[in-house]
Amino acid sequence: MKFAALKDGGGWLAASGAVLTAMGLGTTTVRAHGFVGDRFFPPTIQTDDPFAVDELALPTVSTIINPGSPATRETDIGVSFSKEILPKFAISLSETYVNLAPEGMPSVGGFDNLSLNAKYQLWENVPHEAIFSVGSDWDVGGTGAKKIGATSANVFTPTVYYGKGFGDLPDALTYARPFALTGTLGVEFPTSADPNTVDWGFALEYNLPYLQSEVKDIGLPGPFNKMIPVVEFAFSTPFNRGGGPTTGTINPGILYENNYFQIGAEAIIPANSATGGRVGAVFQIQIYIDDIWPKTFGHPLFGE
Amino acid sequence: MKTMVKIIPFQHWTLACLFCLALQATVWAHAFLDRSDPQVGSSITNPPSEVKIWFTQELEPAFSSIVVQDAQGKEVDKKDLHLDAKNKSLLEISLPPLSAGTYTVIWHVVSVDTHRTQGRFKFTIK
Repeated sequence: MKFAALKDGGGWLAASGAVLTAMGLGTTTVRAHGFVGDRFFPPTIQTDDPFAVDELALPTVSTIINPGSPATRETDIGVSFSKEILPKFAISLSETYVNLAPEGMPSVGGFDNLSLNAKYQLWENVPHEAIFSVGSDWDVGGTGAKKIGATSANVFTPTVYYGKGFGDLPDALTYARPFALTGTLGVEFPTSADPNTVDWGFALEYNLPYLQSEVKDIGLPGPFNKMIPVVEFAFSTPFNRGGGPTTGTINPGILYENNYFQIGAEAIIPANSATGGRVGAVFQIQIYIDDIWPKTFGHPLFGE
Repeated sequence: MKTMVKIIPFQHWTLACLFCLALQATVWAHAFLDRSDPQVGSSITNPPSEVKIWFTQELEPAFSSIVVQDAQGKEVDKKDLHLDAKNKSLLEISLPPLSAGTYTVIWHVVSVDTHRTQGRFKFTIK
């Protein structure tokens, strides 16, 4: 069976389909954010997800104390907007206001360099809930405030993105099926003498809505049945020009899914002493603009 | 403290935006499975006469489907999918008398704002 309208006694359904078609909605459905088949991959906070879709993260607020003498509390407030231009090809813009507060000294604040990103979903496998994408970041040099360390150099970061849900595991591993993994691997190429750096990270999540709707209804009450526990790992490894040691953070947290937005909060735990010694935090609201304005978003600007 | 002075107006502005968005977003979104009868992943002793799936949004039935398959992948439902007369987010399909075994329910739906979603789950008759 494909569609209910084809069924015996489905005349009124067929009629409603005709009306829908007449309204211009008939064959054009909204391309959803973050889906591969049955699997919904939530947008993660510290590592970019592999989807080239319409997204709006507003705001992303984080705070952490950076090591040094003196140690400096960095508080970032960011916004990121992504728009699908061609089918499976999206461009995004991100901007962050940075406040730096060295201990015992006056704080300084300003905007970081504007960041642009282009991403293309290269491959999807629906039965195996897998996706692979390619893209590049461009941190536009000279667009930020020098007083907070924004450089005049451009930084290009070609990146691969991947995602894999484990819904295809055998029945013997039923309770492992809600797990999913997403990740990125990129290399920074600055137009200055700064080192090249490998940016790598991944997010491991346990999707409780997936457990409830695909695997086994264990009777989880709200709000827990809309939560996705996640641990993100985000690292940078310089590999030339005296770039120093690997730095990175481990970020355990919770993503809460609503029909129209996602709220996420994670701890920022420095992975080593080069990264820092004190735990920070990040909070984000991801607004599902394709759900709120389905006639405006959820479609590529050109093509279907 | 200097940081807080800068953050507070931004938060107010963000909350105002979200409030406005929420006002406009009272009926649209993806339709997700809210609950079902038989329950997802359940083992039951009495064969059900139908499969009911409650979704989180109202549906466009002309572009929605439910298929119930046995362990060999053969469709066993009565192909009479319909929306509940009083609840536009409840899809129902009838079943013939079923023997013991594991059955898979495969659904594809389009919500009234044209968002597509899909899913599948199993139930077992002992």
